[in-house]
Amino acid sequence: MMKYLIETVSVKMDYPHSDGVLKLYDEGVSLKVDQGDFVAVLGGSGWGKSTLVNVVLGLEKPTTGGVYFNGEDVTRSSFVKRCSLVKTAVVFQRPTAVPQLTVGQNLSLALSMAGVPKSERDERSRESLAFFGLERITKAYPESLSAGQRKRIDLARVLAVRPQLLVLDEPTGDLDSSASNLVMPLLRGLNRDHGMSILMTTALPRYASAARQLVHLKPPGFITPSNRIDN
Amino acid sequence: MEKPSWAPYILSGAFPKELTDLLAILIIGLAGIEASLIRLSFAGLQLGPLILFLSVPLTCALASLSNTTRKLREELALFAYGGSWWQVWVRYFLRGFTCSLIAVFPLVAGEIASTGSVSLLQTSLIALVSIFGGVFYAAPSLRRIRSVEFVENYKA
Repeated sequence: MMKYLIETVSVKMDYPHSDGVLKLYDEGVSLKVDQGDFVAVLGGSGWGKSTLVNVVLGLEKPTTGGVYFNGEDVTRSSFVKRCSLVKTAVVFQRPTAVPQLTVGQNLSLALSMAGVPKSERDERSRESLAFFGLERITKAYPESLSAGQRKRIDLARVLAVRPQLLVLDEPTGDLDSSASNLVMPLLRGLNRDHGMSILMTTALPRYASAARQLVHLKPPGFITPSNRIDN
Repeated sequence: MEKPSWAPYILSGAFPKELTDLLAILIIGLAGIEASLIRLSFAGLQLGPLILFLSVPLTCALASLSNTTRKLREELALFAYGGSWWQVWVRYFLRGFTCSLIAVFPLVAGEIASTGSVSLLQTSLIALVSIFGGVFYAAPSLRRIRSVEFVENYKA
């Protein structure tokens, strides 16, 4: 079996509800992300884009199918185990930061967890915050900032970490158009100039076009007890 | 003509229903028992301080359960930075342990001021109660991060 950074094989998800079963990816999602790839997953709202990110990261387990990191079956393994196989950073749909720490301290914490030497942390933080125009809010607390600013902090964090693989769930969500316009060239630059592999989800075809490889999701199915009998 | 009634509006939330309400009741109750048992002793141990020790883990659990939204944000960020559930657990355990240790310090200081030392039994009790404080502080977080709903919070 050929080794990819990430490979999902026929991943399907069933969500049982009181009145039936929501079936995501009825035909199964099989995608491959190799070193230097830029893959976009395109799909509408509620089609399972965030769930696919969670499955790839090990935060949710697929009903059927497998997930492989560097050729190793990690379907039942944790995010930490996956990070040990492929140095991964993630930007979730909802901005994430430790509320008790300042912006600068958050970046420093993320860098220390990624194993970046202490001597490099300050410089990397400064550079990446400056790239997003956030250098003046280094001492601010995340909760005092707007959703757009917090999203940019997330992006600054992954820029500073410089991972092997970058996973982004709708990276332009919460951003205004000028900040959104900054993100796609940044991602293309990280991919082209730094060889960073990227897996990104989006609902907008114009952002998906930035990727070199496109995976289309289909709308979910819903099986109720009555149509299960019909089938 | 229909008359609006304000009574259901107030009464529907007037009675304690939450786990944090129960913890607050228990802590206040223990403080009351402690106040009444302050002079009693059993097998050489004063019962008042023992009751105080019982209130420590409950207070830690109450502190951990209050402001859950902020703690959830902290946990989500720690996972996004590449942390694992046991690292989060240890982080909260140490916070609860430290809270307990600081909280019982006046009792220790009082003991040292009156007798000049702290007995081995008292030291063991303080260590034990601080460990319980840590465990009770970390337990709600562990329950949260191991739940199926936890990852749903990453979605908008």
